[in-house]
Parts: sequence; C-alpha cells; structure tokens
Amino acid sequence: MSYLAHANRQLENILKHTNLNAVVSLYDRASILSAASVAEQRAPQSAHPRSPYGRIVLVKDNICTTATPTTAASGILKNFKSPYDATVVKQLEAAGALVAGKTNMDEFGMGSYGLNSYHGPTTMSRIKGEERSAGGSSGGSALAVATDQCWAALGTDTGGSVRLPAAYTGVVGFKPSYGLLSRWGVIAYANSLDTVGVLGGDVDCVEGVFDALNVYDPQDPTSLLPSTRSHFGSIRARNSPLRIGIPLDYNISTLDLTVRTAWRQSLQRLQERGHTLHTVRLPATRHALSAYYVLAPAEASSNLAKYDGVRYGNRAEGVDGTPESVLFAKTRGAGFGPEVQRRILLGAFSLSAQAIDNYFIQAQKVRRLVQQDFDSVFKAPNQLVAKSLEENDNGVDVLLCPTAPTLAPFLNDAKRQDPIQAYMNDIFTVPASLAGLPAISVPISVAEEDRDRELKNRDVVESAGMQIIGQYGDDKLVLDVARELVEAASSPDKLA
Amino acid sequence: MLASSARSAFAVVPKRPYICQSCIQKTRLPPLASGRSSIRLTRALHAERQLPNDDSPFRKVLKDAAKKKKKDRKGNSDTSNKAQRGESVQLDKWELTVGIEIHAELNTARKLFSSAATSVSEAPNTHVSLFDAAFPGSQPHFQKEALVPALRAALALNCDIQHKSSFDRKHYFYQDQPAGYQITQYYEPFAKDGHITLYPHDFPPGTATQDAPITIGIKQVQMEQDTAKTVQQPPFTNLLDFNRVSHPLIEIITLPQIHDPTTAAVLVRKIQTILKAVNAVTAGMEMGGLRADVNVSIRERHGQSTGRGLSYSGVTGLGQRTEIKNLASIKAVEDAIIAERDRQIGLLESGGVVEGETRGWTLGSRSTKRLRGKEGEIDYRYMPDPDIAPVIVGNDLIQHLRTTLPQLSDETVNMLVDNKNDYSLTSKDASTLLLLDGGERLDYYYDVVEHLRATFSNDTDTQARLGKVAGNWVLMELGGLVKHEEWSASHVSSNELASIIAHVLRKQITGRTAKLLLSMKFEGDERSVEHIIAAENMLLCPLSRHEYEELARNLIEEKQDVIKEIVEKKRYQKLRWFVGQMMARSAEGTVEPDQAEKVLRDLLHLPPM
Repeated sequence: MSYLAHANRQLENILKHTNLNAVVSLYDRASILSAASVAEQRAPQSAHPRSPYGRIVLVKDNICTTATPTTAASGILKNFKSPYDATVVKQLEAAGALVAGKTNMDEFGMGSYGLNSYHGPTTMSRIKGEERSAGGSSGGSALAVATDQCWAALGTDTGGSVRLPAAYTGVVGFKPSYGLLSRWGVIAYANSLDTVGVLGGDVDCVEGVFDALNVYDPQDPTSLLPSTRSHFGSIRARNSPLRIGIPLDYNISTLDLTVRTAWRQSLQRLQERGHTLHTVRLPATRHALSAYYVLAPAEASSNLAKYDGVRYGNRAEGVDGTPESVLFAKTRGAGFGPEVQRRILLGAFSLSAQAIDNYFIQAQKVRRLVQQDFDSVFKAPNQLVAKSLEENDNGVDVLLCPTAPTLAPFLNDAKRQDPIQAYMNDIFTVPASLAGLPAISVPISVAEEDRDRELKNRDVVESAGMQIIGQYGDDKLVLDVARELVEAASSPDKLA
Repeated sequence: MLASSARSAFAVVPKRPYICQSCIQKTRLPPLASGRSSIRLTRALHAERQLPNDDSPFRKVLKDAAKKKKKDRKGNSDTSNKAQRGESVQLDKWELTVGIEIHAELNTARKLFSSAATSVSEAPNTHVSLFDAAFPGSQPHFQKEALVPALRAALALNCDIQHKSSFDRKHYFYQDQPAGYQITQYYEPFAKDGHITLYPHDFPPGTATQDAPITIGIKQVQMEQDTAKTVQQPPFTNLLDFNRVSHPLIEIITLPQIHDPTTAAVLVRKIQTILKAVNAVTAGMEMGGLRADVNVSIRERHGQSTGRGLSYSGVTGLGQRTEIKNLASIKAVEDAIIAERDRQIGLLESGGVVEGETRGWTLGSRSTKRLRGKEGEIDYRYMPDPDIAPVIVGNDLIQHLRTTLPQLSDETVNMLVDNKNDYSLTSKDASTLLLLDGGERLDYYYDVVEHLRATFSNDTDTQARLGKVAGNWVLMELGGLVKHEEWSASHVSSNELASIIAHVLRKQITGRTAKLLLSMKFEGDERSVEHIIAAENMLLCPLSRHEYEELARNLIEEKQDVIKEIVEKKRYQKLRWFVGQMMARSAEGTVEPDQAEKVLRDLLHLPPM
C-alpha cells in the first residue's frame, strides 16, 4: 500500500476514534495529505521498510511543536504555543516523517493510567462498552498506535511512561539509554530520568524512528557526544546464543498469574532457540520504587516552578497575589491538577532542609545501588562508570522480565486506586530508568486459558508486556532481542 | 573592550520580546488623574529595591574621612561627649564579628547559561534566550568563557581553584526569577580557602587599626546567575526586563574574621579594586554591579564565656548573628554594621536577646530594620541541577591565568612606594593613583615617568627625583584641573606633561610658568609646549645680580617699617611677601624666588636660608 493510502486511513481513524481521546490536537488535514502525496512521488527507490519516511507520526503533547499547542495536558499550559520545535520533531521531519498531531498524556508525565489529563482521560475500548486504561503517561501515543491512528508515535519515559502503556495497549514501546535522544524542546518532568521513547506496532518501525533520532544534539547539555556513542554496543555474532537473565527480585507476590505465565512462556521460547537462561539477583530493586518517588517529585517540584503564567501560559481569573505573597499563588493552584500538586508538595518536602538528608540524599544512594546491581549482572561493562572494559563472563546479555504486574486495568478500578497503589505499577520499569538503561516492552500473547472470554469471542488477542533491559548503550542489542522474542513467541508452539 | 565589541556581534536568539503586549498597552495610556507615572530603574542586583549611590571618587572619600576624624578628635578633647565615652566603654566590653558576602557581575560577552549577549542599557527584553525566559523544554548551555574572569578573580583572592565544581538550584518564587530558582554553586563552589590582606595604606588616613596588616580569610567564591530587572510603574504595574537574567555573577564569602566596621568597608573596597585590576568584573561596578550582605554578631571580650557560643564557617564561640542584606555601597556596609552592632549591644545590655533574623538597611537611616525572623527564613531547597555537567578546570588553564594575571594592587603600591624603583611615592599617593579612574591615571603616570626617564637618561641625580615630581604633577596639578571633569589621558598628553616637567627640572621655566602652561594645554591650546614657550616668551631669562639688587633696594626703601620688624623680631618668613613683589614687578619668568630671597637676605645681612 502507498504512503498516501496509509496516511488517509490513519487520519480517518483519528476522526473515527475521537471518543478514545488519544489525540488532542491535529495538524491541518489537507496539508498532511498533500505532504503524503508529495512523499509518495519523491519516494526513494530503496526506502528502508523501517524508515519513517512518508509515515504518519504522532507526538506526545509534552514535546514542543510550533504548529499546534503544546499543553503537557495541563491547565496551566492549555493555550500555550511553543515558539520553537523540539529537536526530535525536527529530526523526524528531516527524515521525511509526516508529523500530524499531538497525543494525550498524564499531566506533565505524572501518572500511570492516563487519567490525569486536562483534556480528560484516554480510554482503551477494544470492544463496545469496554473501558480500560491505556496506561500512562504516554497513553495517548500507545493507544494511537494500537488503533492505527498513526504509524509510530513519540512518547517520553521517566519511570516507565512509554513501556507501561505499550504493555497495556499491546504495542512495542522503547526507552533508549539516557542521553541518546535529544530532550531539547521536551518539557521536563524529572530531567535526570526523562527520556524520549518510541511506540510502534512492531520492533522494526520503532527501530527506524530510533535510528532517525539517535544523533548528538548540541542543544541538549545531557546529549552524549559522538565520541562517547562510538564506544557503545556489545558485539554479537549474528544468531549467536545469548545469556538471558531472569531477575528473581521481579517475581513478586502481586504479580498477576496471567503475566507470570506469559513471562515463563517467553523464557521458554527463547531457550528453545538455543539461548541460555540464568537467574540473577538485583537486591536494590525493592528500594528502587521508593527512591524513584522521592527523586522524580523532587526534580518535578523544581522544574515546574517556572509555570507562573507571567511569561506564557494561563493565569487564574481575577487578581492574583497580595502585597505579602508572590504574584502567582492562585494561578498555580488553579492551573495544576491534583496529582501534579501532590508531587510538587512531595518534592518540595524531600528537598527541604529538614528532610533532604533522609529522603533526597538517601534516594540518590539507592539510585547508585540500583545501577551497581545492574552492572554486577551484565556481561558488558557500563561504559560510563566502568574502570576496566573487561567483560564479566558470568554476566548476562540482557534481562527479561514483565513490564507491569497486571494487564490493563478497568478505568473505574484505576480511578478508585489511591496514589500509592497507582505508583506500584511502575515497580518493574523504574529500576531501568534510575540506571538510565535501554529497555523495551513487547506484547506477548497471553496463554490460551488466560484469555478473557468476551474479548476472545470478538477476536481480540490480549497480550502482556515483556520487558528486555540491556546494559547502558546496548540499545541495538535490546532491539535485536526484542525482535527475536516477538518472532519466537508468535511461532507455533513446539511443545503443543 | 573586546567584550563590548563582541556583544554587538552576537545575534540574539529570539527577536520577539516575551512580555504581555496588553500590559504594555495599559501602561502607555495617559494617566487620567494628574499623577505622573514615573519609571524607576532598579539597578541593584536581585531585585530588592535599593539605589546604590556611592560613586564619589575615592580621594574625596579619603578627604571626608580625614576631616571627619579631625572634627571628631576636636569634639572629643573639647567637650566630654557622654555618648561617645559610653560607646567606647561598650566597645571595650563587646567585640564585634562580621562576615561579608559580596556579589559582583563578571565581565563576559555572553550570559552564564545561554549564548544571549550580556547588555547594560539596551531596549528591554531584546537579549533573552528561550532558557533565560524559562520556556518549557529549553535547557541551560553553560558558557565556559565565563570561567576566565571568575578564575582570575579567585586567583587574585588567593583561592584554591577546585578541580571539579558543580551547579545547584536555589529555589524561591519571585517574578524576577523566571525559572523559580537561581542557578548557583552551593555544594561544590569553584574556589575555596582564599585570603586577602589589608595593609595600612588600604585604610583612609588615620583610620588604620593598630593591628594592620590584617588578613581576612575567604571561605569560598562561587558562580551564579543574576535575575531579571523589575521596572516599577506606580501605582500597580511592574514591568519585567529579562535582559539581565543569567548575567554571570560571582559571590565571594569571607570568614567571620572582621571586628571593625571600617575594616569591613576597607575590605569591600579592596576586593572591588582587585576585581577591577584583574579585569574580572564589568566597568559599571559603581552602578550597581556590586552588592554585599553582612553577618553581624557581638560577644563579650573578657567573656565569662558560657561555652554556648555559636559557630559559623568553622569560627567558634560567636554570638547570635543577624544578616543584613543587599547593601549596595561601601558606605552602606560600614554604616549598617555600626548601626547593627549598636543595636545588638543595646539589646544585650538591657537584658535582651539577639534573634537570628534577616534585616534591611536603607541609605541614610540610623538603624537596621527587621525583614523576617528565623521562622520566616526561606528554605531554598538546594538541589544539584541535573542538566548541567560538573565543571572540570585543568591545571594548565589555572597556570596560564596565574602567569597572565595583571599586577595586583598590593604589589603595585609596594612598587610605587619602594625607592629602589625610583618612584618613591608616599603610600597614600600610590594608592590614590591606583584607585583613580579605574587605573587609567596610574597608566598615565607611568607614561609621564617613562618620558622623563628617557629625557634625563644621563642624569642620575635627577633620575632619582622623577617619580616623586611626576606624582605631584599628575595628582595635584593636573588632578586639580580635572577635578570637575571626567578623566581622559588626552586632555594633556603624557609626553607634553613630561616636557613641561622637564623644563622646570632644567630651570628653563619657573614653576609658575609651568602651571600656566599646563592650564593652557588643558584648555585646549594645540601648540606644542616648546612652541608656546617660544611664542609667549616664557623662558626664564634670569636677571643679573645687579638687576636683582636694584629691584630689592627699591622695595626695602618703600617698606622700611616692615623691614625693621623683620630684622629686629626675626620674622624672616615675611620676606616671602617681598619675593612675591619682586616677581610681580618683573616680566613673567624672569625672577626665581630662591634667588630673590637670597639677594634680599644678603642686602639685609640676614643669615642665609
């Protein structure tokens, strides 16, 4: 099928699925279509199937675009139009992609269910009447991919915000190593953890977008220099057997049986292909989630201090400020949603003089332990911190574990959860974020006996997200293993 | 100068001013009532409103200080001033301790965290990058060029430069702080453990404490960014100019080792001078480029030390301190410390307790004012900035800057005073020269001496006198002429002044003629010195002995009564009047005063001079 036909169909799907609330703003339809037909005429003979050339790509609404507003799903930015385009948006366009609109999200990236949005929640509805969470915070991007509203979508991942919704909606979601993709023009939630991520229907499409964006950007002070990048990547002989790690600390009591079965089957399939399985211990994992929910809100409370409605953004109605107070107490109170306010307050507390030693500093130490845990189990050394570049022969190439403890929850259940319960969903994704490691979530069909009867009757294939985590800089290896896992899982069951 | 030309060359990223257009419209409307809308530009750093006004030349400060001192001494001896006696008794009992934080703007072409140009009085909001205005998604770009003046400053303050330093965010809400935090160096400053020595010549005459030289420790020097500027439009409008956001500053923190208000003022003055001398700060320092905060505490000298003393920066046994913020001039530093010291003594003497609090002081007031107490202290929630990599400074850079550091004021003063170098100035003249006109007067002085040395290269006796003579002419004679104008070396070029002085030294013209010549040149006479001397017939053409005697005899005849008094009562100094008359009655430049007096004494049989 042609680029134009795909574009046409996907733009129609966007209109058809407005009830899902995955897309919050759309570029001019006519100009996208004319760009698609131009792309078609000029298409290079040998356009790689992975290339985003001529493809509709949607972008999470916390990534700055000049064509439409950039709201980060917040009331305080509800009419904000950025004066510049984010580097990743420019890179996509330079690669020939058709950036077509913005996707819904949790406000400033804070949330695991897609509920905390000024634009209203994103709803996954695979069959009539179903109302499930698409996950968060990049829920709009994941759902847009899942419902063919685009070829691929950009999200951002701070503690699992790309991988979790990918797992819930049954698409591929990739969080690259920290520092590879530019954050210039990406609205910060917690800068030391924020990563631009890619969502797509398959690993090839995700890798194609990743390749287009995986370039040093001098505008981003945390972007890795070309010299550093050149050292990355374990050398793996094609189809050589891999050592796959099973982190025992991820086998928690609250892990849903359906997900545990899918995990076991995934491991089995890889073993059948000649790879070896090895259990590993990552003891700091149990502290990782707490550390994350200290560090991310701390940075958020700082990053969000700039939203005062003075230079841009919305101001509260009427007069704000008294002679004794600053000019924007009311504006900030009215503009931020409850979860954002909660995390700002949490962060302000953990950075306060009385609490910083017990919270922020301790959490930084845990973060270091989490990284050391990972370094101790991987075969490849961590290029950023390792003293020697020798490989650990007993180490593993990648880790395989679930992305989330459960399948996508019902929206009503999600709404009833208290914040701590919601935070628990990030338990498997947060450790890789703390260590800055590349991690991908791929959909693995759930076992036949675990399928929901109603969905099964309507031919909806449920899947659980399986996460592959690699050593820092081993992004290509992670993508390779992901491709192989999907392939292995979809081939006929040898044992059956 | 490089900086200012570079500034104009840098394109400013966003051309659009990010300020609410409708607000500007509103303020442009003509006022309905008769109230005039006035724009007050706040030049002080960090938004707190105080107008700095200590631009008076240092010589005037010195003079005023000396006058005041004289007057005070008189007052003391004449009357028994109870208040002052009381004070000195109190000061015998209580010891003052002061620590100072000084903020100064670095001399750089670009801002600290964006490539936007630094600017002084450009149109508002024309030098603002996305990051300066804290736009969503924008990130800081540390301009490593700012390190050069910062390192120079730290080296000149004898600090240890840290191999690694890092930046932190200091949080507080204010409309002039667009990001909601200031980027500063809290956990790892770039320079530590410096010191500065105050010599007697650093003090205004008569004020040097007995224990000078005094060495004051510098705890650390850190880099940080400036805030926006609030332009007030009474009654209700505040306009914001973001041009100044992220201008690079350094904060210099001294140890609490100062025990005298004058020492504090002299220290601030000296730091200011040093920063200028090593070209670390902007020339506009007098216009608000400097701000100081002081910590003040007192303790009993001969203390029944209760052992409950407090400790600040490792200095122990101190009393409860208060902080006085945002002092924008040297005078403010001194006066505020005195006021706060006296307030604390008064409190303790009357059985009260000093509370740890932040206080303010306005120029001209007699006491400090409470701003906020401990419970109202801002918790700045310092956090390492995750977007800014640590700064690593190599030894090669430090070495290079150390070897190319301009001569510091102490070395200069020592050289000018030391007679080995044939400058032989008094330390007062030396430090005055150094301070005047941002060092330009000193350069001019060097030029004059250089010319003179070339002229008298074969005359070792005269060589030894050149430095002192040139000093007098540059400071006193030329100084008197430029008193009411801005200094420029082109009023009278250095070789012309040297030529005038050379003529005097060779006794080719009289001193009076030389002064006349100087003022003619100063007024813009474009002819060369030689030419004027020739054209105006100024050369000294000495009278003969006979002519001198005749002139003198006529005068003695005329004023016999005065002569009688001089001879009988030995009032020889009155001969001066006769000398003056002899000069007045002859053609310009023909009578030398020494010669005239000698002839008078001979005729009257008085002892020689």
